[in-house]
Amino acid sequence: MYTAAVQDLIDELGRLPGIGPKSAQRIAFHLLSVSKDDALRLAHSITVAKERVSWCRRCFNIAEVQAGLHPGSGLAQHAASEPAGDAHTVLCDICRDARRDPKVICVVEESRDVVAMEKTREFRGLYHVLGGAISPIDGIGPDKLRVRELIARISPEGVEEVILATNPNIEGEATALYLTKLLEHLPLKVTQLASGLPVGGDLEYADELTLGRALEGRRTIGG
Amino acid sequence: MYIEHLSLVDFRSYAQAELAPSPTGTTVVVGRNGSGKTNLIEAIGYLATSKSLRGSPSEALIKIGATTAVVRGQVVCPERSRRVGIDAQLRIGARDLVKVAGQPLRRIGDLSEVVVVTVFSPADLDLVQGGPAGRRAYIDDLAVSLVGRRAAMYAELERVLKQRNSLLRSVQISGWKPGRTLPVDVVSTLDVWDHKLVEVGELVVKTRRDIVAQLGPILAVTYCQLAEGDRPGSRSSVALTYRPSWDAPLADAVLRARSDDLRRGVTGCGPQRDDLELTISGMPSRTHASQGEQRTAALALRLAGHRLLTESRGTAPLLLLDDVFSELDAARSQALMENLPTGQTILTTAGQLPEGITPAAVVKVSNGRLEQ
Ligand SMILES: [Zn+2]
Repeated sequence: MYTAAVQDLIDELGRLPGIGPKSAQRIAFHLLSVSKDDALRLAHSITVAKERVSWCRRCFNIAEVQAGLHPGSGLAQHAASEPAGDAHTVLCDICRDARRDPKVICVVEESRDVVAMEKTREFRGLYHVLGGAISPIDGIGPDKLRVRELIARISPEGVEEVILATNPNIEGEATALYLTKLLEHLPLKVTQLASGLPVGGDLEYADELTLGRALEGRRTIGG
Repeated sequence: MYIEHLSLVDFRSYAQAELAPSPTGTTVVVGRNGSGKTNLIEAIGYLATSKSLRGSPSEALIKIGATTAVVRGQVVCPERSRRVGIDAQLRIGARDLVKVAGQPLRRIGDLSEVVVVTVFSPADLDLVQGGPAGRRAYIDDLAVSLVGRRAAMYAELERVLKQRNSLLRSVQISGWKPGRTLPVDVVSTLDVWDHKLVEVGELVVKTRRDIVAQLGPILAVTYCQLAEGDRPGSRSSVALTYRPSWDAPLADAVLRARSDDLRRGVTGCGPQRDDLELTISGMPSRTHASQGEQRTAALALRLAGHRLLTESRGTAPLLLLDDVFSELDAARSQALMENLPTGQTILTTAGQLPEGITPAAVVKVSNGRLEQ
């Protein structure tokens, strides 16, 4: 058995997604073998990220609190799992950008999908990050996603079009379908990204089902 | 397509074995029961599918006392003038390592690009005598062997059912009782999974119906060839019919079944409950056929699938017949050998071959060793 400190480190690493017991062990021993400065730099960047990064109060994208705005937020006060920063005041870079068109909202599952969309430089509207997709297996229903928050934005922000850009897998498609039905009574246009074509979903195939969906995806499906 | 050479290390009963089957003819593997004939079939099946034909975990395929088993094969595709090596390592406590032409296998479906097998074993009697699950698996496996990307369609059906069943069970756990109104969120989420089920379900049913239609005439001819020796002149007609477990359209049936589904916590309507009915001279073979007719029908189903694959791929899959003569009487055995499809065939037997048959190669199995 390892000493308590080493075992703690292995256990903490093992709780990270995609890291099994063997990898946790390997990373722990790697951290012990590097210089103290190198190891502390990692610890520091985790601390800083947790202090500065929060969720945008409008779109729930990752947002960074500007330095100096949060004199009181240190680790001591945020020992709980709650994100640091004040969730009621923070806006993300995109929501703060006056050049973006607030009439169009692109709905995605995670913040990393925002990054992917932004890389295309095609989209000039705003986003809404759901925080996942409907998946009963994982106990995720619409109530666990930021669906209510999306609906609440529509009228006050004068939204005219919602683009559904959930992932092209079964859960993402189901979520898009759910939102379509929910939004179809509102006075706005609902569109969905052409899906099904192999864009990196877990299913990579182009048969009748996929092709049909891709064609369907180009149409306006609500409003 | 044929297997030129097969070598095994610590696979089931074999410490080390080499096999060079006849490329186009029939290789007969002779050995007493329990000598390891079926293990040889299993090794070739593993090479083609990277899983056990009998559904055993990979660890069970490793020889007792060893930690790693190796199955290696050289597959030749003359029509594409290609020779591809498949190299599989099965390890205790680790994932199997399969390489095709030196490259790690990405998806299991990719193997079917290189090698396809048709396997008949005595357990296939279950296709005729058993429940609908075996017959659905038969038609679905055939569908995927014909068009590899259909595997994604079946995976989607399975995933949608898993999600829908999870939702149904979560409603039960939440304390909902029949007769009460469902929460709005549950209704709208169920609507979504119903929609997905209908979408992929209708496609699965269409695929199965297409295959049944293609298979029907081939099956009728194949069955007659096998049964001919039994009752010369009598032409018993065999027919295959797809029997959905619901009335069309599927969308309405799924909706109608919703309250039952909620009570049981499982999806009771859809292609996962359908059946294939096999009749001999108009009577259901499951209940009205003799044991001999049932065995013939099971073999005919496999051979018909084999012929359909041969037609569609333009090259015959490898045909593996395990202990086939134990299933058939002398006349039917004779008829089988006379009507064997062209292409590489490997068959195992504990006893004598039917009269007048000269195999292209004979391999003897005893004490975990092959003698060619
Ligand atoms: Zn934002």
